[in-house]
Amino acid sequence: MLDRLAFIITDGILLGLIYAIAGLGLSLVLGIMGIVNVAHSAFIMLGSFFAFELFRRLGLDPIISFFLAMPVFFLLGTIVYRALLTRIERVSQSQGLVAMFGLMVLIENLSTIAWTTDTRVITAAYTNASLVLGSLYIAQVKLIAGALALVLTLLFWAFLRFTLIGRAIRAMGQNRDAALSVGIDVRRLSAVVFGLGIACAGAAGVALAMVFPFSPNTQIQWLAWAFLVVILGGLGSVANTLIAGLIIGLLQSLSTAFLPFDYVYLVLYVLLAVILVLRREGLTLVVKRAI
Amino acid sequence: MNAVSSAPILKIANVVAGYTAGHPVLRGVNLIAQPGHITGVLGPNGAGKSTLLRAIAGFLQPSSGRIVLGDEDIAALPPHRHMERRIALLPQGRSTFPELTVAENIELGGWTMRGDRARLRQAVEAMFARYPHLRALRDRPAGSLSGGQQRAVEIARLVIGDPKVLLIDEPSVGLSPIVAAQVYRELEALKAEGRTILLVDQDVRAAIKIADYAYVLSSGRNDIEGDRSAFEGDLGVMVRRWLGV
Repeated sequence: MLDRLAFIITDGILLGLIYAIAGLGLSLVLGIMGIVNVAHSAFIMLGSFFAFELFRRLGLDPIISFFLAMPVFFLLGTIVYRALLTRIERVSQSQGLVAMFGLMVLIENLSTIAWTTDTRVITAAYTNASLVLGSLYIAQVKLIAGALALVLTLLFWAFLRFTLIGRAIRAMGQNRDAALSVGIDVRRLSAVVFGLGIACAGAAGVALAMVFPFSPNTQIQWLAWAFLVVILGGLGSVANTLIAGLIIGLLQSLSTAFLPFDYVYLVLYVLLAVILVLRREGLTLVVKRAI
Repeated sequence: MNAVSSAPILKIANVVAGYTAGHPVLRGVNLIAQPGHITGVLGPNGAGKSTLLRAIAGFLQPSSGRIVLGDEDIAALPPHRHMERRIALLPQGRSTFPELTVAENIELGGWTMRGDRARLRQAVEAMFARYPHLRALRDRPAGSLSGGQQRAVEIARLVIGDPKVLLIDEPSVGLSPIVAAQVYRELEALKAEGRTILLVDQDVRAAIKIADYAYVLSSGRNDIEGDRSAFEGDLGVMVRRWLGV
C-alpha cells in the first residue's frame, strides 16, 4: 500500500510540474498585460507538434526540442503580439477575448489540416523505461519531463526576480503609468512578455507530448488545465503557480488511482467550479493581482 | 546642475488637450517655466492642472499647441521617452511598484542607465545616502510602507534619473502635515540644486510659499498669473472665489 501511495504521489508531482508550466505563460500574460489568452493552449499544442516533427523528420530528442522550443516560440509570440495584439490592446477585454478565441480556432483548424485529427505519440528511447528505486517504479519519461518543467519554472522565477528586465516586467504589471514615467517602453516590454508566455506554452507542449498522446483537438483540455492552474494559483507568484500545478497533478494522480477513469476529469472540473464559486470574482480578481 | 539662466526651459503654447474628442479639458493654456525655479499651477478642481502635467509628460497628446523643452517640441513624444530628456513626472497619489522592494523601486527609476549596471548600482547607493531613512527599508516591499515613506521612495525614484525638469502633481495629498512639510522642504532642496519644478497643488498656501511664479487655471484656460508677491495676502480671496463663496 505504501509503495502504491509513493508511486501515486511521485506520479502526481511529476505531472504537476508539467501542468505548472502549462499555466505559467498564461498567468504571466494575464497578470502583466491583462490579456486572457485563450489561444495559449493552441500554442501548447503547436509545441507538441514542434517536438513531433523534429523527432519524426530529424530524430531529434524531445529534450533538445524542449530547449529549442523556447526561442522559436518566443519569436512566434512576439510576431503574434506585433501582428495582432497591438491592434486589439485598446479595445475592450471582451473584444480582445473574441480575437484570441479566433486565433485559437484558426490555429486548431490549420493544425487539423496539417496533421489531421489522428492522435500522435513521441516514442523516444526512454519512453517505456522506468527508474527503479527500491520497490518504486518511476517512468523515466515523466521524470525527465518533470525535471525539464522544474528547470523552466526556476528559470522564470530567477528571471523575474533577479534581472532588471524581469523587475521591469513586474513593475509594468503593478503600475503601468509609473513604469512609463521611469522610461520603460511598455509596448516593447509587452512584446517580450507575450513572447515569454508563448515560449512557455511551446515548451509545455513539448513536455506534455513526451508524456501524453496528442492531437490538434487535445488543446482544449490543456486550456482547461492551464486555467485551472491560474485560477487556483492566482497571479501572485511563480511559486504559487508551481504549487497550483502540483495540487492539480496530485489530485489527478489520486483520482486516477482510486476512482473510475471517467471520474478523473469530473473531479478536476468540479474543483474548477468550486474555486470559481468560492472566489466569485474569478479571473477579475486574478487580473487585479499583480505578478 | 547648471546655474540658473533666464531663457525658459519649458514653454507651453496654446495647448488644447482632453480625454474625449471634441471636449477639451485644456482650452489653450500658455505657461513658461524658468530654469531653476518652482512654477506653481493652481486652480479649482476641474481647472485642468493635472491634465496639463499629463500632457507635458506625454500621457495625453495635445490636439493643438506646442510643448517645448529647451529647443525641442515634445508634444508628440511618448511618455517613456521623457526620462531620456531628463523631464520626469511625480503623479498624484501612490505610484510606487507595491510588490517590489524599496531598492528595486529606486533602481527602476534609473532605467535609462540600464546599459551601465555599475553606474546604476552607484546611483541607487547615492539615493540611500541622500535619503538615509530609506536605507533600513531597502528590502521591504514598497506597498508595506506608510504614505510618507512611499512618497520618499517615489521622490528618490524620481531623482535617481537626475531630471532637470520635475513635474510634481499634488505632492502632499494624503500625507500628515509634518510629512507634507518634509516633502515641500525636499522640493526646495531640489530647486536649490538648479532643477526646474512645475508644481500642481490644491494646497494653495503651501504652493505659493515655495513657488517663484504661479499660474492660476480656470476651466482649462489661463486665469491670473504672477510672482509670489502677487499672490501673498490674497489667498483667502482666491480660494473663496474658486469655491464660489
